[in-house]
Amino acid sequence: MNETNSNKLNAHDLINVGIYTAIMAVLLCVFACLGIIPVMMLSLVVIPPLVAGIPYMLFLTKVKKFGMILLMNILMGLMLWVTGMSYYATIVGTITGLIAEWIYRKGEYKSKKLGILAYAVSILYIWANYFGIFYNAEQYFSTRQNYGQEYIDSVTALLPPWMSPVLLIANFLFGLLGGYIGTKVLKKHFEKAGIV
Amino acid sequence: MDYKVDLKPASLIDPRTKLLLLFMISVFVLGGAGGEKMTVFYWILVFVPVLLLLSERKWKLFFISVLVYGCSYGAQMFLKGDLRPWESVLALSVYVIVKFLPAVFMARYTMATTKVSEFIAAGKKMHLPDTLLIPVSVIFRYFPTIGEEYSCIRDAMKMRGICLGGGKASQMVEYRMVPLIADCTVIGEELSAAALTRGLEVGIQRTCIWNVKLRFLDYLIMGFCIFTVVWCMIGGFFL
Repeated sequence: MNETNSNKLNAHDLINVGIYTAIMAVLLCVFACLGIIPVMMLSLVVIPPLVAGIPYMLFLTKVKKFGMILLMNILMGLMLWVTGMSYYATIVGTITGLIAEWIYRKGEYKSKKLGILAYAVSILYIWANYFGIFYNAEQYFSTRQNYGQEYIDSVTALLPPWMSPVLLIANFLFGLLGGYIGTKVLKKHFEKAGIV
Repeated sequence: MDYKVDLKPASLIDPRTKLLLLFMISVFVLGGAGGEKMTVFYWILVFVPVLLLLSERKWKLFFISVLVYGCSYGAQMFLKGDLRPWESVLALSVYVIVKFLPAVFMARYTMATTKVSEFIAAGKKMHLPDTLLIPVSVIFRYFPTIGEEYSCIRDAMKMRGICLGGGKASQMVEYRMVPLIADCTVIGEELSAAALTRGLEVGIQRTCIWNVKLRFLDYLIMGFCIFTVVWCMIGGFFL
């Protein structure tokens, strides 16, 4: 078998993608449940990018071929769609995945700085989950009528349309910070233990 | 050589049907697509996982879920319009339960009754590319593992006194996440080694000991799903 030189993804790579996608999905799922409290809705662009940085940076150390980041983002997008977010996340996730893939390839799949940047870009699919509120509010809340008028009012008050770019920037910045924390944790724990 | 062995299917319905149902439930129950005109389909889809539980002889879970659905249906009829704060909280929690429980049950049923090899065989029959099929089957296989590992780590950390309170939030996250991820990485290595020994990468057609075939019940459910989607798109005209 000539898998060492091949640029095609082999079973080993695909299994890695599956594992890290599962970890990321569980983390996002746990923290996304905070969104039921209206104020915490805003924290969704803060906490998940910070925490998910750790598995993502570890994942990046396994990435040596084109397609893995993209594949992970597509799968994450599909997961978000299936777990009740909109399909916006799938579309945005695919696009940001491609961009992140390109960024990380620039550093020949080694550069840590570009890795952090790639993480900050690819995690932007979290921002995409707000699209429903900003651009299609009526339909978004029509499926959430039973949350009570109070919930709807407070979420609408928290998220006027101009918040959309603010959230995008916040998501990106906390992505950078999360990626940085991820590399630190990687250094502190995993490199010493010989997992990387 | 062609082996003709009449094997029993691993479970009542085919993995493909399970996935389709999972998708339908997330879109129509969890996502609430279609709105008012889909109410009937909504409740049918809510009860499909319950019937599947029954087919697996999970009596206790069956009765509890029927009870919960009944109560929450009544509560939804009762709690409407202008609500006081505590009523609104109650309505919200009831609503969340009915929305999430079917998807959770369906996902649990799918994971509990589908063998990974059966899943891969079904995926091959759908002509899914390996690049999609292998990660997805790993994800499916992996969720229960993460849960198990996490509960062990939580116990260990409780013993060390690293839990909520005491202003150690970052420590709490770090001391749980890092062992969990380290564990998962090691298990992942083992998983890929096992997959390679089983010839996941040989490149020729693989055989499967499970009889992966669509049956009458599968066609029935698929027909219902198609009808649901069609009704969602054009059904508004008839009401």
